Amino acid sequence: MDVWQTLIYLLEGLPLTFSISIIAFISGIAIGLPLAFIRVYEKDVSFVVDAYEKVFRGVPELVLMLLFCFGLGYYFAVPFANPFFTAAFVLGLRSGANQSQIFRGAIRGIGDEQLIAAQSGGFSKWQAIWHVMVPQVLTYSTPGLGSEYALLIKDSAYAWVIGVLEIMKRAELLSVQTSNLVIPFSITLLIYVAITFPIAQWLDRWGNKKRKKMGL
Amino acid sequence: MTDTVMEARDVCKKYEKLEAVKNVSMQIRKGDIKLIFGPSGSGKSTFLRCMAMLTIPDSGEIYLGDQCLTKPATDLNKARARIGFVFQHIYLFRHLTALGNVELSLKHVLKLPKEEARNRALAALKEVNVSDCVNKYPSQMSGGQQQRVGIARAIARNPDIILLDEPTSALDPELTGEVIDTLRDLAKEGTTMLIVSHEMPFAREVAEEMIFYDQGTIVETGTPAHFFNHPNSERAQKFMTRIIKRTMRE
Repeated sequence: MDVWQTLIYLLEGLPLTFSISIIAFISGIAIGLPLAFIRVYEKDVSFVVDAYEKVFRGVPELVLMLLFCFGLGYYFAVPFANPFFTAAFVLGLRSGANQSQIFRGAIRGIGDEQLIAAQSGGFSKWQAIWHVMVPQVLTYSTPGLGSEYALLIKDSAYAWVIGVLEIMKRAELLSVQTSNLVIPFSITLLIYVAITFPIAQWLDRWGNKKRKKMGL
Repeated sequence: MTDTVMEARDVCKKYEKLEAVKNVSMQIRKGDIKLIFGPSGSGKSTFLRCMAMLTIPDSGEIYLGDQCLTKPATDLNKARARIGFVFQHIYLFRHLTALGNVELSLKHVLKLPKEEARNRALAALKEVNVSDCVNKYPSQMSGGQQQRVGIARAIARNPDIILLDEPTSALDPELTGEVIDTLRDLAKEGTTMLIVSHEMPFAREVAEEMIFYDQGTIVETGTPAHFFNHPNSERAQKFMTRIIKRTMRE
């Protein structure tokens, strides 16, 4: 197998790598946003958020993936025995914990005034959060979100251990088949570099422009 | 039915050791323009925020029309929708254009249809003379324009009363004029307003009643003429002298 064929074979894993990280990223937003607002504005239950963050930031993804896929998958074949689902799910949970912290910083940075201004106009607290805070928090957080996304692309490689045929798994298969560890993994390295940073950077640049407009 | 729009009865608010509002009572009737003035840090803003229940008073009662807002289980959001509030530091929504700022509560609080919300917002922006800023973001406007959008945001809902917390004190003297002009127009239309401000020429022109507020309480009330000629309390006298001197310098 020459370098060209190796590259093509590895790149065929790209859709899986992307879809795992994108699904995890979006789940992370869906989990992280409410958690961050609960943490800041609902002091009575913020300990739940705290516990969630500690667990999912503290435990290695590998442990979670194996536990969910083979442990829970044994009892609940649907959906956990599906490695693709489990990989995206576990990374989503982890990303939710990270993003909650990113968003919390943004909420603090934006301050309470925007919320008070909305409440003075008759908005309820959660209405004000949705219409006024959320759009600003998302824009404010773009640098953090960019690096979180890069992290997810990188961590999607863990899906290898539960058998998802993404880039990393393909590199491993090739290295076994060809008894060559250098070429498949070097190319894999280059692919990860090429797909991780442009997206993070684009997000950062887009956010910068938006933030400037908002005077943040 | 009385024509009382808002009333405060024995309102108190304490921050740790500082008593920002001590037993303050006030009645505002339809069409009234009242102006609260006094040294900074005396609790004027806190009192105004209590009126809109943005700060919850420790004791006392706030009435909006016949409705007691300080009663537990009152729907404060509904009540606040009937009160316009203009902030010293403006607090426009930074992610929205001028139009978006004014439209937002029309669409989501009053639940007006899209078209109607837009038309009403545009009318409000026109009324405060910022039609040229409709599609600008707050960061692209001058302070004076921003504050006029802030006023448009407050009046677009047709509130029963507008509370203004030092609407000009964060602005350059140059920009103050345009905001004052806007307020003057509102006054002419008979808008009910409670204003915290130190703009004395403006006060003299539009206020029916001036309220001298110091150390958390109302020291003296009277017409502008009363304050400009012979306020009773020594504190008010001193304050007036100082502020008139400053105004002359400007």
